[in-house]
Formats: sequence, structure tokens, C-alpha cells
Amino acid sequence: MTLPSEQLTDARERRVKVSLIKNAQKVLQQNIREYGMYIAFFVIIAIFTITTNGLFISSRNIVNLLNATSYIAVLAVGMTLVIVIRHIDLSVGFLAGFLGAIAAIALKYWGLPVYAAIPLVLALGVVAGLVTAFLVAQMKIPAFVATLAGWLGYRGALQLATMGTGTIIISDEVFNAIGNGFIPDIFPPDTGLLPGVHKLTLILGLLAIILFVIGEINGRRKTQAYNFEVLPMDMFILKLVFVSALVGGITWVLAGYQGLSWATVVLLIVVSIYYFMTSETVLGRHIYAVGGNPEAAELSGISVKRITYVVFGSMGMLSALSGILYASWLRSATTIAGNLFELDAIAAAFVGGVSAAGGVGKVVGAIIGALVMASLTNGMNLMGIDISLQYIVRAAVLAAAVIFDVTTRSRGR
Amino acid sequence: MKPMAEATPVVEMRNIKKSFAAVRALRGVDLVLRHNEVLGLVGDNAAGKSTLMKVLSGAYIPDEGEIFIEGKKAHIIDPMDARRLGIEMVYQDFALANNLDVAANVFLGHEAVRAQLGPIGVMDKRHMEQETQRLLNRLKIDISSVRLKVESLSGGQRQSVAIARATAFNAKVIIMDEPTASLSVAAIGKVLDLVRELKAQGCSIIVISHRLEDIYAVSDRMMVLRHGRKVCDCPVAGDIHEFHERVVAYIIGARDDFAERAVD
Repeated sequence: MTLPSEQLTDARERRVKVSLIKNAQKVLQQNIREYGMYIAFFVIIAIFTITTNGLFISSRNIVNLLNATSYIAVLAVGMTLVIVIRHIDLSVGFLAGFLGAIAAIALKYWGLPVYAAIPLVLALGVVAGLVTAFLVAQMKIPAFVATLAGWLGYRGALQLATMGTGTIIISDEVFNAIGNGFIPDIFPPDTGLLPGVHKLTLILGLLAIILFVIGEINGRRKTQAYNFEVLPMDMFILKLVFVSALVGGITWVLAGYQGLSWATVVLLIVVSIYYFMTSETVLGRHIYAVGGNPEAAELSGISVKRITYVVFGSMGMLSALSGILYASWLRSATTIAGNLFELDAIAAAFVGGVSAAGGVGKVVGAIIGALVMASLTNGMNLMGIDISLQYIVRAAVLAAAVIFDVTTRSRGR
Repeated sequence: MKPMAEATPVVEMRNIKKSFAAVRALRGVDLVLRHNEVLGLVGDNAAGKSTLMKVLSGAYIPDEGEIFIEGKKAHIIDPMDARRLGIEMVYQDFALANNLDVAANVFLGHEAVRAQLGPIGVMDKRHMEQETQRLLNRLKIDISSVRLKVESLSGGQRQSVAIARATAFNAKVIIMDEPTASLSVAAIGKVLDLVRELKAQGCSIIVISHRLEDIYAVSDRMMVLRHGRKVCDCPVAGDIHEFHERVVAYIIGARDDFAERAVD
């Protein structure tokens, strides 16, 4: 026989457990589309970690994986917005390759310093994007056709640019550091508490966690003050713990090798800017409004043309950035640079939850999508799986992601 | 009651003409909308109802005719002009972005900004959500959260959001194009309640509808158009069956109060 007080605690505990599970179910159901992608990503990481005896999750591999993902991930961010406004851009791959070659030529033959060459190439990217936007918004050419022309044109331009020289070797150390280098450490590597661990990376990671937790708590308090619904407390804590553990884990893994690479820093900056732009600014809201219902947006005084220019302009700039990251990573501009980048970026965007019908898709999703696709390649390479099978597995993952998205969306109605 | 405001109509359209190639959609229509009045606009398909309202809301520019808003001559050449004059149109197909939430739709194109970074404004989302909630409460619209995406709402709720959106920025005149088309019976009741609520709060409203019982339920006055001409302009009164019969007679051309003016 149990004492009444014990029974009471028992019941209370049970109630707490039940509410926790119920809350988790509710939150999961409401956000299944968003969380499904993260869950899938974790499953992929776990599978590869087991099948490669931990090689996949090793510091060195993760750093390489991030560097090799960065140039597709920045394209996927831009592509997500292009698809959100119901267009597509097939020209970004060879545009990236061409602009990477221009960067190499500017450094090597024009003698431009790296601090001038990079802004120049980014500006050229914007111009290229605006040209696409002109064809799409002004001339009313379907984006598929306009950018297919771009795909051909930039491919030709890339070959023309590298015709005399073939592959252009880049010797600028600062430029090459973007794709290969790491942020410096403030302490010598073998002093202090943790020898061999990159301390600045750890400090930055810790700072990110602290800022995230403070931001979330403040946001929650303000939202409550306005009497709006917030996540249940247990789910809120779970979210904080989960994200903190994730950031902490990645930071620890990166710090174990040479720390944060510059390519990852560039990627983080791009994601932060685009995340802020899409979720917090009027421009971001108008982009999604145009994607959701162009007629309604126009009737509300939003210029669909202007949004088209902005989105393709940003896509052009990100193509330039992708070209810079890739050329820097290879320390050279090759004659076929950028081949198939556009399709990898489109696949990443769709795995990341963008909808072809327009109006739906987040930039963080695009990054996760790019990471999922790159992890598949990387993990299967480590396992020694034949390349032809790799394509088939990636096809299955892409199809599964879109099927999952479509079915959860129709059920959510 | 202010007698001055009573005397000057909110909207007066005089001798509006509009042709599309060989088709004369409007052949000199006059329209008067008084303060705090609900005007029903009735007519068969292609009678010119929507064309007349698109002229008023700036979507079409008339070939001839004048528009006065509160006694002042107005030049309306695009929808933004009309909006600046306090004229809002609720479109038949709701014209909402289904992928955005209720608050985002209500404030679409009018986002509240809390900081400006060069050309890019940072939104004040909480303010917009709070204001939207207040608006929904004021109009007694039953939607559980302003953060619900419009795609998850019912047809009646969407129509309510579209109407709320039109009233959000101090509109003087609200034009509703077939607000009850494609709605369930229960939803129609709610939308009609919303029209009455808006009138009670001082709005002037023009309702276009095929459903005569809806016009009868909410309008103070009605206007019948036929072949681009006004054939009837009279108060809504009397028994519904008698009303129905009378209106149908105007719609099909059996009656015409303005026949002497039909010179062509």
C-alpha cells in the first residue's frame, strides 16, 4: 500500500509526463514540415556515423564537408527566393564559374588587389542578375527559357575567358584563404586549459548559444506581454536545450580540428543576413506575398516587377559569391567550373522545403537541404559506395523530401 | 447627426461612360452614395456593375464623366489614388496571400515599421498582430489567432479577413464585389452581420450581389443596372417577395424608371 502523499506525487508526475508528450505531439504536428527536415538530417548523420565508424563525424571530415557545401549552399539560399516568387534560375552554375574566372583574371592578369577584385565580381553578379530580371519582368520571358539562355551564354563566356590560358592558377593567399583557411586563434594552440582545441571557435560558439538563449527568452516575454500564444514552457526549454546542444556540438567538433573555416563564416553571414531579411523586413514579407498571390500583392501596392529585380539581383550576387568560394577552394578557375551547380542548388532548395507552387520556403531550410545532399555524397564516398548508386540514393532522397512536403501540406489544410 | 454631412454625398459619380472596343459597358451612369448608407448594386451579367465599381476603385479610367468624393472633384487613375481617397475594394476572389498569416494580410502593403535600414524597413510584427487582433474584436470576427495562415481558414473567414483588411486603414467607402458568392449559408450570415456591423460603425458601403435576398437583408437603397444604364434607384422597402419580383422586372427589362433618358 502506498501513502496518500506518494500517490499524489505519482499522479502529478504522471500528469507532467502526459502533458510533456501531448505538448511534444502537438508541436510536432503543427510543425511537422519544418521539423521533419531536421529529423531526417539527424538520421542521415547518425547512419553515416555508425557505418563509417565515426569517420563521418570526425572534425576533419565535418570541416571539409562544410567547405564543400558552402558554394552550393549560398546558391540554394538565392534559389529558394527565386522559387518562392514562382521562377527558376538555371544560369547560376555557369554564371558562378564565369565570375570565378573573372576573379582569377582580375587577380592574376589585371593585377587588382583582392579587396577590389571581390567587390567587382559581386557587382558584376548583381548586374547579371538584373539582366535576367529584365528579361523575366520586363520582356515577360518565362524564367526557365530566359535562364536557359543564360546557362548557354555564361558557359560560352566561361570558355572564352579561359580559352587562352586553360585553368588559371590563383596564387593570391588572401583569396585562397576564403575557401581553405581558418579563422585565427587568439591563444596559441597548446597553451591554457585545452591544448589542441581552437579557443576562439569555442568562445564564438558559446557566445552564439548565449545570444540565442537571451534572444529567445526576451522574445517570449515580449510576446506574452502582448497576450499572444507562445510555445508551452516544457517545449520552449526543450527547444533551447536542443539548439544549444546542436550549436555546442558543432562548435566542439570544429574546434577539435582547426576551428571555424572562412567559408563557414561566409556561409553563416549569408544565412544571418537572408534570415533577417526574409523574416523581419518589409521587403521579405513582400517577396513571400508576391510568391503567394501576385495579383493580391499588386493590388496592395506592391510592385511585382521591383520584387523580381531584387530577387534575381540577389541571386546574381550569390552566384558571384559561389564562384569566388569555389575558385578559392580549388585555388584556380577551371574551364568547367560551375557545371551542374544550378541543379544541386535547386535540389537543395526542394529538400529544404521550398514549394514549386510559390510562396513557401525558408533560407535556413535551403542550408539544411544543401547539407543533407552534401552529407549523402560525402558519407557514401567514405563508405566506398559506387558513384552510380550514389546518384540513385540522392534521387530517392530528393523525391522523398518533396513527397513528404506535398503530403504534409495537403493534410495541413 | 450632422446636417452638412448628410447633404453632401460621400461618393457622387456623374454620367460615367466606358467602352471596350465596340462594347459600350457604361452608357452614362449616375451614382450617389450617402454617408453611412449601404447601397445594393444589382444587375444581370454584363450589366456594368463591376465595370462601374472598377472605375470608382481606380482599376479602369472612364471615357467620360466625373467623380466627386465628399463634394470634391476627384481624379482617380489607379487603385492607389482611390485608396488615398479612402475607397477600398474587396474583390470577389478575396485577393489574399494564402501563404501568409491573418495579420500579414491585413497589413500587406501597409506594414508597420520599427526601424529603417536604408531602403529596407524592419517590421514591427507585434504591433501589427495586436492591431489586427483589435480590429477582429471590433468587427466581431471569429478567428482564433491572427497568426493562422489564411490557407487554413474557411471561405467565410477569408471573406471576413478581406473585408477587415479593407476597413483597417480608415476607409470611408467600402466596395464589396459579390461578398457572399461561393460561401456556405452559415458563412453568408456572418458576412452579412459584418456588413451591418460596419454600417453601425459609420462606414458607407456598396455591395454588388446576384443574391437579391442579401441585398434585401443589408441595403438601405438599391440601384439596378441593365445594358450599361441605370434602370432603377430606389429605397429597399416592403415585403421580400414583392421586392424580389420588382427587382427581377428591372433586371430583365420589363420595367425602367429612366427610359426617357435612354436616347440611344
